[in-house]
Amino acid sequence: MSRIPLTSIDEQPEPIRQWMARRGNLKVFRLLANAPQVFPGWTQMVDELFESPTFSRRMREVVILRVAHLQGSRYELSQHVGIARNAGLTDQQINAIFDTDQPDVAGFSDTERTALDVTTELCSTHQLRDDTFATAHAAFGDEALTELLMIISCYYGLALVLNAADLDVDAAARFQP
Amino acid sequence: MTRIAYRRPEEMTEQARELTVKRGNLNVYRALANAEKVFTGWMLAGQAALTSPVLPVRLRELVVLRTAYLMDCPYELGQHRDVARTAGVGPDEISAIISESDWETADFDPIELALLHLTTELLTTRSVSTEVFDQVHTALGSEATVELLMVISRYAGLALMLNALQVDLDETARLPIPPRREPS
Repeated sequence: MSRIPLTSIDEQPEPIRQWMARRGNLKVFRLLANAPQVFPGWTQMVDELFESPTFSRRMREVVILRVAHLQGSRYELSQHVGIARNAGLTDQQINAIFDTDQPDVAGFSDTERTALDVTTELCSTHQLRDDTFATAHAAFGDEALTELLMIISCYYGLALVLNAADLDVDAAARFQP
Repeated sequence: MTRIAYRRPEEMTEQARELTVKRGNLNVYRALANAEKVFTGWMLAGQAALTSPVLPVRLRELVVLRTAYLMDCPYELGQHRDVARTAGVGPDEISAIISESDWETADFDPIELALLHLTTELLTTRSVSTEVFDQVHTALGSEATVELLMVISRYAGLALMLNALQVDLDETARLPIPPRREPS
């Protein structure tokens, strides 16, 4: 049971109701909509992250699943496993991302491995070693590397909110990326 | 030394430039502006958090400092030490928050202590005990509790980016605290 009552979709202002419908009417939106002063800004951030052409859907989901796993977010995992599958990841690859320590990187491209390394090191130590940074910077460049950090940052932080509120997973509703 | 080039204001879109200037043209924004396709949305989310009238600024800054400390983020500590002072947090209180456990015996009121407990538990264990959560929720109500969680969320995520890019603390520029919006 969520520790905070979920808002009702019907009570939302029209733009927010439309946004929720477009993105799949998830419980996480009804949770965050308790804070109407900050929720609309958060939705703009999410839209930009998912509308950006910088990364393939598959790459984005590799990173999100790894963050969700490292942060122990049952909710993020429940939503993103299906999206990851639709984005072309096999069950074997998804399971590899959930390997506790170092993911088994067989079956991933070099840039996906680099993104997984950045995610694992940053989420577990809060830092990046010089060589990890240099490899990632060479692979992605200034813009894409910073955007990769934005994805990690968003899901790392969101997992904290979800875990703190102990939000139940959605029965059928699915995020529309 | 920061690990990537800072964007110059003239290299940003108009909206990104306006938001960056309004927030003091800090190194953090000039570094993150490299992600030009998502930077504006991130800035708008931040603007909403900084101007919301719901969570008292003093409580917000106690939690930001505690988050910065637990995420090992010198940049956030450098900026928010000054913001916290402006919000009425004394030097001794700041020292207590950015230590492992001195805050537990410092002179914070019960609500402040509950917020610091929640922040510490969440960032060190990735979850919060029912008792600590309920204490905060009862004291603040649902709206301010969700805002509080979003503050922790934002500053924890930002700390990862700042640390990864090793953004230099600005020599003198500090985050201007914008006026808060009227309650709706």
